[in-house]
Amino acid sequence: MDLVVLAASSGVEMADYEQSIQELIDAFGRLPGIGPKSAQRITFHLLKSDKAESERLVSAVSSAVHKIRYCEVCFNFAESERCAICRDENRDPHLLCVVEEPRDVVAIERTREFRGRYHVLGGAIDHLQGVGPDQLKIRELLIRAAEEGITEVILCTNPNIEGEATALYLKRVLDIPGLTVSRIASGLPVGGDLEYADELTLGRAIEGRRTLEQ
Amino acid sequence: MGHVTIRRVWLKDFRSYEELELDFTPGLTALLGDNGNGKSNLLEAIGFLVSLKSFRGAPKEALVRAGVDVGFIRAELDDDGREVLIEVELKSLGSPRVLVNKQRLGATRELLGVCSTTIFSPDDLSIAKGSPSLRRELIDDLLTAVHPKNEVVCDDFAKVLKQRNALLKQCNGRLSSDAQLTLEVWDERLVEVGERLGGLRVRILEKLQPLVNDYYTRVSDNSRPIGLAYSSAWRSSGMAASLAESRRDDLRRGISTVGPHRDDVMMEIDGMNARVQASQGEQRSLVLALRLASHELIRQATGTSPILLLDDVFSELDDRRSAALLGALPKCQTILTSAVGIPKGATADAIYYLNDSTLVEARSS
Repeated sequence: MDLVVLAASSGVEMADYEQSIQELIDAFGRLPGIGPKSAQRITFHLLKSDKAESERLVSAVSSAVHKIRYCEVCFNFAESERCAICRDENRDPHLLCVVEEPRDVVAIERTREFRGRYHVLGGAIDHLQGVGPDQLKIRELLIRAAEEGITEVILCTNPNIEGEATALYLKRVLDIPGLTVSRIASGLPVGGDLEYADELTLGRAIEGRRTLEQ
Repeated sequence: MGHVTIRRVWLKDFRSYEELELDFTPGLTALLGDNGNGKSNLLEAIGFLVSLKSFRGAPKEALVRAGVDVGFIRAELDDDGREVLIEVELKSLGSPRVLVNKQRLGATRELLGVCSTTIFSPDDLSIAKGSPSLRRELIDDLLTAVHPKNEVVCDDFAKVLKQRNALLKQCNGRLSSDAQLTLEVWDERLVEVGERLGGLRVRILEKLQPLVNDYYTRVSDNSRPIGLAYSSAWRSSGMAASLAESRRDDLRRGISTVGPHRDDVMMEIDGMNARVQASQGEQRSLVLALRLASHELIRQATGTSPILLLDDVFSELDDRRSAALLGALPKCQTILTSAVGIPKGATADAIYYLNDSTLVEARSS
């Protein structure tokens, strides 16, 4: 990300633009996944097209920024005190899925496999970025686990160093009688060929194999 | 991966090179010229192509020609008759971009599945004389070359260690109950990957030892036994117990004081510590034997010979050692640089003379 910012504001291509255009290019360039070339393309697209299109964008950004806050229960994005999932009476109140970011909630929701509720930590333990357990919504998770009658917590943090450490930590602190703590499985993509799976994933999949019911 | 050779290399804005194109033979290619004319830079480029790091330990930004932002290395390889094109784009800022047959590469270890190299460099003597980190690096590089998956273990260990050290530093010598819980989590992870890394290193040293003995006899014409032992403060009692024992010390100093990152490879010639008790000549033979043995181990494990890169190796050797090394070199594609001509007894299939990083003469026999 720093590189993009550097490149976008390094002044290499700066000279020829009007100031407001340059400011817009810089603003887009600071967004994740957008390099200087894309920032320039988006800017010129907006300036060339109908003013109404830009205004729709402006109002969409502005209303999202003003309306969206964190759900007081699960810390997912919400438009009111509690998010749509926490308000949904049809959700299983005994099942809780713990994820790092709101976008992970969206990913799991898309599967339609999970009918419980969520808890968004707001990241993973990463001391190099100054993120310890205190910076995550872990205290809130413990209170929920103790008070909401939850029977199973599914740890869905990412399968990388930080995510695994966070899951290990949560396993330790969620030592509550009657509470099952499980970890999301990692393995092969559906519809793929064993032949093309990388060795690590395949190794994990073999490790996490399960017995077929007769 | 079958039998892999380099057919052609293009350089653009790499190190001292503005532009260069060179064909290689499947046998021996010699790059000749006085020192400072770019011979080693060319070998460095070939080494970089395969490992994405400089065998001279140069940072990536030093590899792009001064005054330019982007440099390129391209190479055409022959993999059992199949053509493989590797392209590396080096930026003075940011990480290099690698394409294999025009396809983006996911991880560095995929490159090692394409091709590998064995490099003999004038700095190799420091493997015998220098700090333990050089010997650890040698072993870890070998682990990765033998099985690319092993790189993940090395990487994971480095990442977990960094996290643990960052936590220790933040603790400032005091361990709150919350920090203790987090530390226990990192300890659990460090034990898991540390034990794996330690085990891998021990096992590969066991495989390396007989080969090193064999090659030492051949390059030194005496057959004194070589010992390679993994020297580790934690392996006898186990990583978990050692971490527990060193915790107070770790906290006080703000770093992890015990683990694979502090280990060493103890090398002995006839029971004597090679680092302090061996002569320079013995150390040189030992290091040559280590390189040759590693080469053979990679060949056995992957079924293909790494490409041999010999950077100004013969100028350091007396005639006898020089001839012994030539005799011990495996039959495979070899690229050597020399400021004093082709070593006696070697026949080069192609000879290039380099002057001021340009090709001035080419000869093939």
